[in-house]
Amino acid sequence: MSAPPQDWTSRPERSNTLALRIIVWVALRLGRAPARVLLLPISLYFLLFAAAPRRASRDWLTRALGRPPRWREQFRHFHTFAATILDRVFLLNDRFDLFELELIGTDTVREAFAAGAGCFLLGAHFGSFEVTRAVGRMQPGLDVSLLMYETNAQRIGATIRAINPALGTKIIPLGSMQSMLRVRESLDAGGFVGMLADRRLGDEESITVPFLGTPARFPTGPFRLAALLRRPVVLMFGIYLGGNRYQVHYESLNLEDGDARHLAARYVERLEHHARRAPCNWFNFHDFWR
Amino acid sequence: MTTTAQSADESRLAALIVEALNLELAPQEVDPGAPLYRDGLGLDSIDILEIALVISKTYGVQLKADDADNARIFGSLRSLCDHVQQHRTK
Repeated sequence: MSAPPQDWTSRPERSNTLALRIIVWVALRLGRAPARVLLLPISLYFLLFAAAPRRASRDWLTRALGRPPRWREQFRHFHTFAATILDRVFLLNDRFDLFELELIGTDTVREAFAAGAGCFLLGAHFGSFEVTRAVGRMQPGLDVSLLMYETNAQRIGATIRAINPALGTKIIPLGSMQSMLRVRESLDAGGFVGMLADRRLGDEESITVPFLGTPARFPTGPFRLAALLRRPVVLMFGIYLGGNRYQVHYESLNLEDGDARHLAARYVERLEHHARRAPCNWFNFHDFWR
Repeated sequence: MTTTAQSADESRLAALIVEALNLELAPQEVDPGAPLYRDGLGLDSIDILEIALVISKTYGVQLKADDADNARIFGSLRSLCDHVQQHRTK
């Protein structure tokens, strides 16, 4: 049962598309506070009626907390997911003024930018991807492309345009022969290339690394690519803390002589570190260890 | 696999590719007429990048992402070899 390529906006599936459209609509017309009121019934709805995501959430929280989650913790898991999706609307509209952001490790990004040899940005389906753009705003002239599958790219591109037509997020589509040649050219021009490195698609090649004590499979591609091109690698996680607060971490992933396997192990170690501290920011609502 | 004979240049390129990608076959087993990407040799986009890197290093030929002829150039070992021989600077 290989799932079709999906990005994290489409999980949990089906009913949430409508729910999310409603949030976006309310957010754009009425603002953040009224839209946030809607997060309560939406989260409750998921908790009560979305059986598969609820099971996945329960399994995840049990592993991350070391005990079965309480009802409230599961509610908070769905609420965090919905809150970051709502906030995406504002973040893509450059309403960074609405938020209290704590940026940690921005020097790693500044140094990579100053070196001019390009940089890989590795994220995960963990917390808010949009809030990590904060660093791009501090660094005028920074050229960031996202590497993702065409189907997602089109949908995300359409979403971004719907929210903010002026925003020029560049996307390098995966799945064509030239994809990686394009990545190299972008890096050579000093650009940053972002990838989400936690989710495998279909029968994609994988590296098995222990994650929260159990071997899990991570996609080989991002790590192979980073090991091959030898550019700085910066991990970034935009963790939602509640209210209007986010904590954004940028961490340099030291390459040295690391091969893909070493890079993956290091990435997973840091992901695990942050995920344990903020388990409700985990947005893979499927059996991650399958 | 039906293997037509490789030319000397093709053999050399096949050896480079097999070595760079750590393929589990002998260079002479690469069918010069078969596609490199996906079917045929079964390479992915990162493999194509590795080939581009090793070709740039060995022959001084830059393979570009936006070359309209890429499908043809990477269409087979033979066409890749022809392209490299035409444009090589070392």
